[in-house]
Amino acid sequence: MESILKVEQLTGGYSPRRPVLHDLNFELKAGEMVGLIGLNGAGKSTTIKHILGLMNPHQGQIKVAGVTLNESPQQYRSAFAYVPETPVLFDELTVEEHLRLSGMAYNVPGGDYEDQASKLLEQYQMVPKRKAFASHLSKGMKQKVMIMSALLASPPLYIIDEPFLGLDPLGIRSLLDQLVEVKRSGAAILMSSHILSTVEAYCDRYIVMHHGKIAAQGDLDDVRRTAGMDAGNGTLEDAFYKLVAGGVS
Amino acid sequence: MTSANHEPASIWRTRARDFRNEIKPYIRYMAMSGFPSFLSLVLIASAIGYFTLLRDVPADFPIVQVGVIVLTPVLCWSPMRTYLAAADVVYLMPREHEMGPYLRSSFQRTILKSVFLAAVVMLLFLPIYRQAGAGSEMVWIILAALVLKAANAAGGWQERKLAWNSIRLLLRSARWLLTALAVAAWLTAMPWQALLFTVLCAALAWLCYRLPQRHRLPWERLIAEEAVTRRRYYAFFGLFIDVPVLPSSIKRRAYLSWLLPRIPFVHRYTFNYLFSATLFRSEIGGILIRLLLLGALVNYMTADAASLSGWVTAFVYALFGIVFSLQLGGLRSVHRYSVWKHVYPLPEDKQTDQLVQVDRAALSAGLLLLWLPAALPLLLKGISAPPIAMLIGALAYVAIRPMRLRRKVKSDADED
Repeated sequence: MESILKVEQLTGGYSPRRPVLHDLNFELKAGEMVGLIGLNGAGKSTTIKHILGLMNPHQGQIKVAGVTLNESPQQYRSAFAYVPETPVLFDELTVEEHLRLSGMAYNVPGGDYEDQASKLLEQYQMVPKRKAFASHLSKGMKQKVMIMSALLASPPLYIIDEPFLGLDPLGIRSLLDQLVEVKRSGAAILMSSHILSTVEAYCDRYIVMHHGKIAAQGDLDDVRRTAGMDAGNGTLEDAFYKLVAGGVS
Repeated sequence: MTSANHEPASIWRTRARDFRNEIKPYIRYMAMSGFPSFLSLVLIASAIGYFTLLRDVPADFPIVQVGVIVLTPVLCWSPMRTYLAAADVVYLMPREHEMGPYLRSSFQRTILKSVFLAAVVMLLFLPIYRQAGAGSEMVWIILAALVLKAANAAGGWQERKLAWNSIRLLLRSARWLLTALAVAAWLTAMPWQALLFTVLCAALAWLCYRLPQRHRLPWERLIAEEAVTRRRYYAFFGLFIDVPVLPSSIKRRAYLSWLLPRIPFVHRYTFNYLFSATLFRSEIGGILIRLLLLGALVNYMTADAASLSGWVTAFVYALFGIVFSLQLGGLRSVHRYSVWKHVYPLPEDKQTDQLVQVDRAALSAGLLLLWLPAALPLLLKGISAPPIAMLIGALAYVAIRPMRLRRKVKSDADED
């Protein structure tokens, strides 16, 4: 399967003297959803910032759709859409203007844009709010705008940081259904979340981060094995707890 | 901290002092920027114009209209610095019953400043009024202005307490209109007639304020008002130095934003779309519109007077053009730290190109809208040199502006 995201020997952080990430190696292939999990401060968001190109690696390299950011910034950036942990919206744009901006930025054809935007607005129960400014939206609604903008772009890679925060139960269901759909259509998804039961149910593989390092990665049995548990026995949460706290659940 | 430091009045004093300390460095930067020299030049030029007018007030000088235009805003404007912040809903609201001294401090301090401003404008206006030889005794006008100022301050406070925004805006418009009418009455009618009219206006306003639903203490309104004041301070200092980015104030402005859907839905216009929306709906847009309205009015008045063969108009036009372009320059900083600037698949030089396009379109529109009321009255009087000079100056600036803007964007990027 085609590799969409490849992180090789990534060491990075805010200061060259104090790296936060240490020698990360992982890969996402087309059509798979990977859960990025870890405690607060484990390095998940810093990893995501490096992938987005907001931070420069101290060592190692990141390739999205086969290129590094320096090789082809446009190709690199066109290949992913990002949903941040805290919704970052433009105060001066309405909900539907955010979708329009996203459509323009990702070069969505005009006809497709109209269809997709209408579908998304309905799916996320945002039709009555389509003319509302960001400052008049609840946190969950803001998150829905972020998710709709990412889905509208239809890129080969989705980078989603804590997508469920503030979402109502219908919003969570819509998002998960849609992630399954985009995965089937061949996109890769890197999703960071603390809701381990959902991550376990929907992701194909997991990357467990602890103190800026990858403590375990692979499918559920791989993670269990690394945590010292038997294959086929115990949940992701059990394995995670053992890996990061050394505890017995 | 002693318990005295927790007294609301003491909290107010601490916050006022903290704010002064917070803006001190920016005042220093502003002082070093050459802006004070520019301001002094403007003051000197204005003083020359003022004394020329005072020496020889034309017989047909529209003294009442000018009086209403200059006195109404300073009498109606009743701001209130409360230094309240969003967190006060959690920490100070439980002590609402003790907030009297806090609000009194706010009220006293702010009203002093607005009374001072009104007094300065009165002092400038009354000599011209006397020279024009119109209407009432000046002592009556001064007394009336004091009463109107106090009534507006009280009205402003009542409006803040109103629960519904639409009613608040309606009553504020009504207050401004009634004040303008009362000012006109005092400038034209006999004192007893003007007094009767003012009393009727006040009674009408008092009745209106009693009708709608009101808050006991309008926390959210005061917090929002304080945020607007802080934003304005920082928007001003932002002309001279980088300042902290504060949450922006957004207005829908349908009369401008109808243009947004007309921007073609294509990749290369992504940032045209974003920067246009920012320009139309943000505080920058609001300031530019107010500048255009004020500039158009002042340009028209000076052009109509045609002082110094129209060259005073050219000077005023240049002044408003400079302030307009300085303020428009703030657009480049609005999305400077936005994550989407880096995430969207659009090279940074293309983003800059699109910013430059929006900036040039807005600058051209602004300079043209300022030029028309400055040039047309002069051209109708057969004076053509200043209008042509203004036009050439504006075109030259529009031509060199993109280069300067690109240089500034690049220097911002290097700093980041």
